[in-house]
Amino acid sequence: MFWPIFLRVITSGDLWQASLQFAALLLLPALGGVISERSGVVNIAMEGMMLIGCYVGVAVTLASHSVLVGVLAAIIAGGLLALVHGVVSIHLKADQIISGIAINVAALGLTNYLNIVQTGGQGIPSLAFNLRLPVLSWGPLAQLPFLGQVLFQQNVVFYLAIVILLGLQFLLFRTNLGLRIRAVGEHPQAADTAGIPVRLIRYACVVASGLLSGLAGAFLALGVAGTFNPNMTAGRGFIALAAVVFGKYTPLGAAGACLIFGLGLALSVRLQDTGIDSNLLATLPYILTIIALIGLVGRTVAPAADGVPYEPGSAE
Amino acid sequence: MALQTAQPRSPTPPALETRSTTLLLWLRRVGSGLGRPLLALALALIAGLIVIMITASGSLFDRFNAALLAYGYLFSGAFGNAANLSFSLVNVTPLIFTGLSVAIAYRARLFNIGAEGQFAAGAILAAFVGMKCSTWPGWLLTPLMIVAGSLAGALWGGIVGLLKAWRGAHEVVTTIMLNWIIFYVSDWLVSGPLQAPGQADQTPSMPPQTNLPKLSVLYNQTLGHFLPTISQPEQYVVDVGFLFALVALVAYWFLMSRTTFGYETRVVGENPRAAQYAGISVKRNVVLVMALAGLFAGLGGTLQLMGQYPYEVVGQVFRNDTTGFDAIGVALLGRMTAIGIFLGALLFGGMRQGGSLMQLKANVPGDLVYIIEALVLFSIAVRFLPVIRQALVKRFSAARQPTVVAALAGGVVDLDQAPANGAEAPTMNDQPLSESGRAALADDGSGQAQTPAQERQHQQNGEA
Repeated sequence: MFWPIFLRVITSGDLWQASLQFAALLLLPALGGVISERSGVVNIAMEGMMLIGCYVGVAVTLASHSVLVGVLAAIIAGGLLALVHGVVSIHLKADQIISGIAINVAALGLTNYLNIVQTGGQGIPSLAFNLRLPVLSWGPLAQLPFLGQVLFQQNVVFYLAIVILLGLQFLLFRTNLGLRIRAVGEHPQAADTAGIPVRLIRYACVVASGLLSGLAGAFLALGVAGTFNPNMTAGRGFIALAAVVFGKYTPLGAAGACLIFGLGLALSVRLQDTGIDSNLLATLPYILTIIALIGLVGRTVAPAADGVPYEPGSAE
Repeated sequence: MALQTAQPRSPTPPALETRSTTLLLWLRRVGSGLGRPLLALALALIAGLIVIMITASGSLFDRFNAALLAYGYLFSGAFGNAANLSFSLVNVTPLIFTGLSVAIAYRARLFNIGAEGQFAAGAILAAFVGMKCSTWPGWLLTPLMIVAGSLAGALWGGIVGLLKAWRGAHEVVTTIMLNWIIFYVSDWLVSGPLQAPGQADQTPSMPPQTNLPKLSVLYNQTLGHFLPTISQPEQYVVDVGFLFALVALVAYWFLMSRTTFGYETRVVGENPRAAQYAGISVKRNVVLVMALAGLFAGLGGTLQLMGQYPYEVVGQVFRNDTTGFDAIGVALLGRMTAIGIFLGALLFGGMRQGGSLMQLKANVPGDLVYIIEALVLFSIAVRFLPVIRQALVKRFSAARQPTVVAALAGGVVDLDQAPANGAEAPTMNDQPLSESGRAALADDGSGQAQTPAQERQHQQNGEA
């Protein structure tokens, strides 16, 4: 009973297409998390930044009748929220965890509040298809069996995410700037001594995490759901956080984690006929992350100065 | 420069330690303890006012009036009459328990974001026990469910402590992961093994013999025989769980300020290395503290299940519940003190309740409460006043006090860390304790030997 269904599901292009879409959705905030944590600022607020991206993306798209403007607004909104996190945690040296929680709560409250004020509690209706993020079909490549559906009929943001992933991996580990970012996250005093602008780099990295999360929010609302629902991120920002840790704070590692988690999410919906409960399958990302944390399969170690505000002139 | 400022910080002669200065310093501590939360709250309320004004319509004056009207409904909806107050207290009970959960962990400098998960673990195991033993008599089943729920919470929190002590896994990440694990596990249980027959995703109601009585009904049945009774007691929905919460507050206070365990926890929180030298087992303490944190939250979840209609666990309820996150605000606003947590829970629980009236009457979405809450968190995190003060004292930071002095300073663990302490911490009444702290540091040999401070603690226990 189990195996025939399982084989049919696992070999269907539909499953892998959905897996990659889920993975891309998680990948964007996860990349944001990677870059922020690498620079030494703990960010548990990807959830809130995504949510604000969802709302602003939909609201601005409806107002401007242009999905491109909506996406840009969503990205900026995420970046602005991240800037708040930056000011609070870098400049004012507040507790980054508290600030992150505050941003999540604020995003939940603000989006719900504005949604009710704007629509009088009716909720936003489904968007017309010309106001959504389009699926990109790669001409003849899209006609390939299996691969065509999986790789060449994805949302436009999916391809953008892959470009960002490769770019970020290159940036962090192959460029001077990447070395500086990592130095700031590992040993800000030494980095400062070497003339690296610690705070500037941290600001840039935190804001980048917000921009990426905002884009993910726009992808979720304008590409996948086609509308805004209260609290529609439903914990995706936290799965992204799990992917950051599970992927050992590297872009490619996080991408691998997102693939596994995305496959799990896609499977959980489709395996219900086999008697495997979707809720139990959904716990898998979190359990894997804990296992990675305690080092049963290669231990995850956070950047040394992660979460520690930097005070110029302070000695170790 | 540095030398000049270092001067007053050197040990002060004990002659100065008179009753009046002690009282003065105590007053100052209470003042500074109240000051920041009140400032945070005021800033948040003003910002909320502005949010309402932006989204309201009409002239500036109309907008201001609309905002004031909304706040009026917010507070009368929360505390306006006895029935509203009793609804508010229903929200307050779980907030106290989860607030204690966050606070006790924070005393050991552990950030418990998992209060919601521990809350869920408690409720779901209590529901499991209640369903499996539904025919048992109430006098047996009620305590059994409470114990089971508390232990489930303690287990869920204890795992975090174990992972931290054993492998150094950061508690913020593990608590978030464990939260989602238990959310999904409880959804699985509610839609499968524990599902009520023929119902949507929910458990059946808990057996009626385990339903906790309403406070008003209990009062009529006991004190009501001698004092005036409450008419229509059923409309006052707050249940006996609230009394449990008050007891838990007292227990927390006693544990933290009157026992060796509490003392050790505070030292571990302030300076784990010093704690180790003093012979305190940091790992054991971390596990215990997290288990206790989980116990509080699990008990809260259990009592919520047993005390309030519909006495059942519904699908996805914990995932969308914000109690465990509100608790962080409650604990921070209450500065980790028992009385502060009570007041913080009263405020947040009241606002939750008042928010619905505000939405109904003033047409301002109740979600404004979340915005206010987030702003409270921000302004507590940022510490506006110390930031200003810090800018002034920053240049003297070379002469900073060793943190162990702060660790041993009296009951209140100050959230303002080194810089603020540098400005005001070395008070005279701290001096004897910090000396004993140094003695503890010197005594790095056997873990068995009692430090003078511990002896003091035991003497106090004996007196109490």
